[in-house]
Amino acid sequence: MELMAGLLHGFQVALTPAALMMCVVGVVLGTIIGVMPGLGPSATIAMLLPLTFKLEPTGAMIMLAGIYYGAKYGGSTTSILLNVPGESSSVVTCIDGYQMARKGRAGPALGMAAIASFIAGTFGVVALMLVAPPLARLSLAFSAPEYFALMVLGLAMVVLLAGESLTKALLAMFVGLWIATMGTDLFSATSRFTFDRVELLGGIDFIIVAIGVFAIGEVIGNMEAEKPAEMLPVPKGWRNLMPTWDDMKRCRFAFANGSVVGFLIGILPGAGSTIASFMSYGIEKGFSKHPEEFGHGAIEGVAAPEGANNAETGGALVPLLTLGIPGSGTTAILLAALILWGFKPGPLFIQASPQLFWGLVASMYIGNVLLLILNLPLVAVFAQLLRIPGYMMSSLILGVSIVGVYSVSSSMFHLWLLAAFGLLGYLMRKLDYPSAPLVLGLVLGDSMEKALRQSLMMSQGDISILFRPIPSVLLAFAALLLVVPLFKKFNAVRVQVIDKEA
Amino acid sequence: MKLQATAVRAALGAAILAAASFAHADWAPTKTVDVIVHTGPGGGSDLLARAMVQMIEKEKLAPVRMQVVNKPGGNGAVAAAAIAEKKDDPHTIGLITSVWIAGPLTSSEAKITVHDLKPIAQLMLEPAVFAVRSDSPFKTLKEFIDAAKANPGQLKQSGGSVTSRDNIIRQSLQHATGAKWNFVSFQGGGERLAALLGGHVDIMVIEPQEAGEQVRAGKIRVLAQLTDKRLPGYPDAPTLKEAGFDVHPTPQIRAVVAPPQQPNEASAYWEKLFARLKDTPSWKKYIADNQLEEGYATGPELRKHMAQIEKELREVYTQAGIKVVR
Repeated sequence: MELMAGLLHGFQVALTPAALMMCVVGVVLGTIIGVMPGLGPSATIAMLLPLTFKLEPTGAMIMLAGIYYGAKYGGSTTSILLNVPGESSSVVTCIDGYQMARKGRAGPALGMAAIASFIAGTFGVVALMLVAPPLARLSLAFSAPEYFALMVLGLAMVVLLAGESLTKALLAMFVGLWIATMGTDLFSATSRFTFDRVELLGGIDFIIVAIGVFAIGEVIGNMEAEKPAEMLPVPKGWRNLMPTWDDMKRCRFAFANGSVVGFLIGILPGAGSTIASFMSYGIEKGFSKHPEEFGHGAIEGVAAPEGANNAETGGALVPLLTLGIPGSGTTAILLAALILWGFKPGPLFIQASPQLFWGLVASMYIGNVLLLILNLPLVAVFAQLLRIPGYMMSSLILGVSIVGVYSVSSSMFHLWLLAAFGLLGYLMRKLDYPSAPLVLGLVLGDSMEKALRQSLMMSQGDISILFRPIPSVLLAFAALLLVVPLFKKFNAVRVQVIDKEA
Repeated sequence: MKLQATAVRAALGAAILAAASFAHADWAPTKTVDVIVHTGPGGGSDLLARAMVQMIEKEKLAPVRMQVVNKPGGNGAVAAAAIAEKKDDPHTIGLITSVWIAGPLTSSEAKITVHDLKPIAQLMLEPAVFAVRSDSPFKTLKEFIDAAKANPGQLKQSGGSVTSRDNIIRQSLQHATGAKWNFVSFQGGGERLAALLGGHVDIMVIEPQEAGEQVRAGKIRVLAQLTDKRLPGYPDAPTLKEAGFDVHPTPQIRAVVAPPQQPNEASAYWEKLFARLKDTPSWKKYIADNQLEEGYATGPELRKHMAQIEKELREVYTQAGIKVVR
């Protein structure tokens, strides 16, 4: 009852013309910066923050949150069309999204990204509203050993991301893990693999690697094609641009998977949306009846990660609003914003400021609907991009990538890095090494190393800390993931042998 | 005649003096000013810089627009190099923190450090407090230290990097008392607090603003403050000295610097601007809302403070076995 009263009050706040206006501004801005690679929600919110001092705080919060979840909608656009991840959490979407575009199914891919985002995003808000306080307390049970096991489970998914050869996938992953070690070590303040470059003291931002390996590698690869790349087919008609009913049925599990995995990982202050999208992609492929289609344009490979990174937003707001603990860069800025507006984020926040909490929750329901209405027609517009001839497309990808990287780093050095990773991506493609495991290793490596060292510092070197209940379960899953393909292989060999004998 | 001459000379002198001081006060920025910070958008320095620019605008302290320029990387080293590159530019200033002093001590990659730049003004101090969970058996800092002495290495503190203020105060306390406890580094402030609230560590150094709400909700207890005098928000928590520990907490500063050869009249303009800023209602409100400590100091004083902080850090790092490279 209290809940209904709260929500009703929230809608009263969120449906006032001023609040509605702020919500529209937020989600439109969010979509735009989501589409643009490089510029992310945290940078945008930080830059807009001073302008919000003059605004009424509830409206301002509704707008900033709109940017936050709106960006997750837009992020998939360039991943699908150009193989350039628009946001860090849309890196995985490149894998199947871009393949779908190459097969002329860019429209359904973009449409599915919007639909999955809507479903999972709304699930995230419902969950935020219903189970925030108890789950927030549960998230505190998660500490370094649990995070370590979670990261190991994530890394074990390399088995699922591998193409033909597991060995090559593992090699790529280890390169990713190596890159993750670069920079100043948090625990000893020593520099690792910085090559005496001041720019490398902070390590290498994984989005640079991802854009280099995926997008630039693709451009170089296309350049050497003997005949000019054919224009990608774009089917005519609204109906052909939308996912079919069959697509929707195929994605049933992906919607649920993305929603739940995204939300749960979002609650953990030490994980984040990139990890959420990788996890749900892995789970999707692991449980799929036709895993061989993944990597070649499986629509579930778009729906699961895009859903997950939207459900993650609802999850990430849980520790922020119920405990005053920011779990990511963007939520840390939202925390700073709340303080600047005179609120006191912390365990008493929801009680003390029901207007803001319920107004925000209600606005997120509205915002998700707005985003769906906004993004579906955009599909038709964006899909036309593929009519651009190949040679111009390559320049477009290059331009978008360079601007994206420069906008984050404002340094020439990082553009050279981008070029180097582009070359690496090209070589990997030539030699048939999958690039997703490299990015996976890079995303998870840093957190995994930190979590392991934190665990051992907590236990003074006693390794048994890694085998308390939650980590044990996660590690068992990881072991299972690694062992199953071996069995399959063994089985296949056995069948062959039996066949020969017979 | 003589009197007349003296009078003329005096008048002339006064005129020259007036002209000089007029010129002195007369320099004012004529185009957009860059405020260089060492974090990406949304980092601590970035948010302060953006709030500061807003306050300067609101209080009409500068005739031009100011914009925040992010030069992230290398604990301030990239930003320091970017400021030094501006040589004598009067339209560039930089916002620094103690990290700019600590960073170069452990990383040889930094070729240009904050000491190569021109100090303009110290803006504020960032205080901190020692906190434990409210169900913790430790009611005072002394009880915690005694327990750490009785069981060396059993208790744990969550904190930032090994070079951070959190670890420095731990090292100083360990050195002064002979107690030993563990330090677990976490990248983000949220993770440190989550580790304390979740019962994975026993104590942490936390910013007063962040601690305030947790105290009000009955989640944590403040044992002592890392300040020289008690903060207005924590009238009941003793300072380290009052708690019985003769340990001086190395202050965490935020300050403004300029390119190395910035003309004096421009630097004087900036120093004056920040001296005026610190007395405005907007600034006072910002300090109060964020529970910071006022700590304005002039350029020459800032230079001394930076040298002092570096000296203290160097001592503690050496004691703690952290490799100091310069």
